[in-house]
Amino acid sequence: MNLRSPCLARIAALLLAMPAVAFALPPGFLDLRDTGPVHGNADAVRDRLEACSACHGRDGVSPVPIFPSIGGMPVEYLYWQLVEFQREADPESPMTALVMTLGDQDLRDYATWYAAQKPVAPAAVDAVADERIARIFREGDVAAGIPPCSGCHGADAGGHPLATSEPRYRLYPPLRGQHAAYLAQRLKDFRDGKNLVTSNDRIMHGVAEHISDEDAQALADWLQAMAR
Amino acid sequence: MRDRRLHRTLRLLPLATAVAAAMPVQADSGVGVDTWRANRLHPDAGVSISAPDERGTSWLAPGQRRAPTGNLYQCPLEPAPPRERGDWIGHGVLEVGAIATSGDDHDAQWNRYVDWDSGLILGLLDYTLERPDDGSYANVRASRISDDDEYYQAVFGRAGSFKVQAFLRDVPNVLSDDAKSIWNGVGGNELTLVAPLVPAGSTRAEVAAAHAAAPTRTLSVTREKQGIGFSMYLTPRWTLYANATNEDRKGARAFGGTFFFNFPFPDNGGIFETLRPIDDSTVNLNGGLRFAGPVWRMDFGYVGSFYRDAYTRFTYETPYALYPVVPGAVSAPLTIGQFATEPDNDYHNLKATFTRKLPLNGELSLTASGGRMRQDDDLIAPIECQGVFGIGLEGSLALGPQNPFLFDCADWNTPDALSRRSADMQIDTTLFDGRIVLQPSGDLTVRGGVRWNREDYRDTYLAFNPRTGQYGYVSENGAQGSVVPGEIGFWDPFGNASNVTRVRSLALDLETTEATFAADWKLGTHDTLGATYTFNRFEPTHRERREVDAHSLKLTWVNRALDWLTFRANYTYLTQDGDRYNHDPYEHTFSMSLPGFIALPGGVLAHTVDALRKYDVSSRDQNKLDLMATLAPRADMTLSASLRGEWNDYDAVLGRRGYDTLGFTLQWEWQPSPRTSTSVYYGYDRSSLGIANINDLENGDDPTLGGATYPLEGRWWVDDEQRNHNAGATFRHAFGRVRFDAGWNSLYSRGITSYRFASPVALAYFSDGALGIDRFPPMSWRVNSFDIGITFPLHERASLRLFDYYERASIRDWHYDGFDRVRVIDHRVYADGGPESYDANMVGLLLRVTL
Repeated sequence: MNLRSPCLARIAALLLAMPAVAFALPPGFLDLRDTGPVHGNADAVRDRLEACSACHGRDGVSPVPIFPSIGGMPVEYLYWQLVEFQREADPESPMTALVMTLGDQDLRDYATWYAAQKPVAPAAVDAVADERIARIFREGDVAAGIPPCSGCHGADAGGHPLATSEPRYRLYPPLRGQHAAYLAQRLKDFRDGKNLVTSNDRIMHGVAEHISDEDAQALADWLQAMAR
Repeated sequence: MRDRRLHRTLRLLPLATAVAAAMPVQADSGVGVDTWRANRLHPDAGVSISAPDERGTSWLAPGQRRAPTGNLYQCPLEPAPPRERGDWIGHGVLEVGAIATSGDDHDAQWNRYVDWDSGLILGLLDYTLERPDDGSYANVRASRISDDDEYYQAVFGRAGSFKVQAFLRDVPNVLSDDAKSIWNGVGGNELTLVAPLVPAGSTRAEVAAAHAAAPTRTLSVTREKQGIGFSMYLTPRWTLYANATNEDRKGARAFGGTFFFNFPFPDNGGIFETLRPIDDSTVNLNGGLRFAGPVWRMDFGYVGSFYRDAYTRFTYETPYALYPVVPGAVSAPLTIGQFATEPDNDYHNLKATFTRKLPLNGELSLTASGGRMRQDDDLIAPIECQGVFGIGLEGSLALGPQNPFLFDCADWNTPDALSRRSADMQIDTTLFDGRIVLQPSGDLTVRGGVRWNREDYRDTYLAFNPRTGQYGYVSENGAQGSVVPGEIGFWDPFGNASNVTRVRSLALDLETTEATFAADWKLGTHDTLGATYTFNRFEPTHRERREVDAHSLKLTWVNRALDWLTFRANYTYLTQDGDRYNHDPYEHTFSMSLPGFIALPGGVLAHTVDALRKYDVSSRDQNKLDLMATLAPRADMTLSASLRGEWNDYDAVLGRRGYDTLGFTLQWEWQPSPRTSTSVYYGYDRSSLGIANINDLENGDDPTLGGATYPLEGRWWVDDEQRNHNAGATFRHAFGRVRFDAGWNSLYSRGITSYRFASPVALAYFSDGALGIDRFPPMSWRVNSFDIGITFPLHERASLRLFDYYERASIRDWHYDGFDRVRVIDHRVYADGGPESYDANMVGLLLRVTL
């Protein structure tokens, strides 16, 4: 075949006739792998906590088990959670209406307030002494395809071991003492691929992909029983 | 056409079998059927046509671009968005389009290992189905540029359970695009002269005219390979695997053909470049069992290979008559020459390896292996002729005492003229290997090993004709003895009792013993030192030395004192020596070893000069140095540099005297983002090979350097100097959704062979010594290639790629000088015109659809 081929002429004509096509980048996704520190002014929201306190408490200790206790969490984690609520704008989430009207500085200020609160132990629950669940947290379950939780959330579930060195490691929240109902639901949501907005959500989707309802609940109970 | 379709259908059977077979068992993916299948359409494995995944390699860390070795690697390619199909998830791509070539697009070098001459092509079909519930998967992968350049592959299995795969693959190898043949039947095993040429009855002018009138033809060999394989876990620790492949090779290539010298005998003899057929196949099998436990690992394996050739021999007609050097005599009218093709042969090997963990974080591994290579192909008759061959001294071709150098073809043109009808040759191999590794501390690793290997030839062949009682083999298709009286190639104790000729095959039994001791020591956090001592003993039989010992010491140093620099240095010293050097261990394979041999008054012709040293068993000292530095001035940039050299000093007055190499490379890579990457490379190396030898100035029995047979004025020296420059650059960038890529590669290779001599008598042709020339013309290859491509998105799942590949080559090879004008020179006839400079271009358009 040579350049005089009519086939090539048709190809060239097709190419020249091709319109310029532009595509938008996929919306919504948040890449949090290289985030910096978050700074805010806690005093700026001191008098605007009513809506938050209803579910999370003024000091960040949630009185309702389905809502997380957020007092003492890293400011970076809290800020990006709020950004995520804005991005996904899930109509089923009670957070949507609360954050949609807030500006970015408001999000930083609220995050700073709750990060500054001292974590308080939640109500006691029945002790969980399930060694199998403890091993899943520490070592994972190779046969089931579940990686160990401790790699990112710390051996004592108190947060990433490198949290003090780089801001991006402060996006892995402490889990010990958290409400079991909240944790179990989050694990199931991650497993089922719901609301995967950030790069960290993608990590958790892979981690929780093979966890059963029973193990999600047992793991959540085990974590709640750990003193904060 | 019908046969071809049937053939292709049959070839598809293993593929269909692999896809259709149900395998309710378990497997692993550690053993493959064959190497990775690809073609020249995607030499970069599709990187340039696929978008890099801007999400990077891991959700855990940003900007992760370096392999564990510290080198930058490409961002992973954007995976195809999956589609759910019931329990299965499917993803893949289909790439179809067209290519068009121009310029010197028939050139053999341009078409090497590819068949571009095609319109519509299947660039790539790659589709994968996965079922997350149980880890089952299936994949098909295919590409088709032409009938002779295509591959199809199917794989299915279940992760951690079993894997079955099958493939078909055709690869063309174009060897020449400007060959001319004076024979009909190219591709078969009987070459007959084209009309009006007459066997043993044509003139040089007639042959030249036939050659000039012959059409230019392409010589190529196509390899068609099929394979099937499976592996499975019998238990979590035991694995079973088996693979089988078959490769058929068909085509023709330039080969030799001889009817005795033409250079010293103008208008006589015949030197031909024939076109031999390629029609053979190889079946390869391997299979075995592996065990992997916490303490023990074991591997029991079998490897087999079976080569079959469609032909036992091929023949060709000679257009030229022969003339005796004796006035008044006549030569027999020989018309046909022949070659045996490669013999059918079988290879079997059994191997067992046991590995056990030891204290001190150590491991001991023991391997035993035994193999057998055997061929028992039918032997061909020593000559293909009718009537007589040789010389009729008294002017006629009548057999009888009056013509002692004339022989009856009937005594030699049948396998009955051989001492046995088939080869019956066998080589047995035996191997024992032991390795131990210990890590007494985190900073120290100690390794040791012993290896013993034998190759035993189980038979030799004695060339004896029971019909005549003579030993040896007819030389040069009977032509030599038809030009020079008596030089027929065989010996007998009656009329030819002083003839020196080869009568027996050479058994090259070999025993090799190797011992290694090594240690690596981490010296602090930045430095690692290593030392390896290796001892090798070669004990060949029927070679110039019975024992050759080599000692080597390798020192290594790795330094990481600076975060952005890894520096590696290796130095090796090797010294090789052996027992007494015997310049002629081959006497038992010649007629001198037969009872009844009578040496001439001047003695037996010296086999070679005693000062000649063959380089593999010669004493030598070697120094070798490797320096490598990898610099990472930025997280997204790498600069690599290496310098390597090897210096060999051979203890040889004649033979290889020295071989030195020196080279360096520089490479720069920069990947500022997944959307942009660029690299530049330059490499240079040079080598110098020095050889000395001597011309024998008389037929004598004195092997001494400087003696009567090899006087010092016959000495000559050759120096071969090679220089190679390699350079390249790549650039890729995405302008929004439009991706652009460009590349340049350059190779410049130049070699000069120079020579000097003690006096013109050192040369085969004395007159050449008066020309005042001390070198052959330079040999050079200069190839530059450029590629450029642009990929436009058409749709979320479709893109269009327009690309161009341009290659320009300038080739100078003095072996083929003048072949563009004439290839029939006296009685020398050449088929292939040799490699040519070329300038060719390919443009293509591919539609890529995500499935």
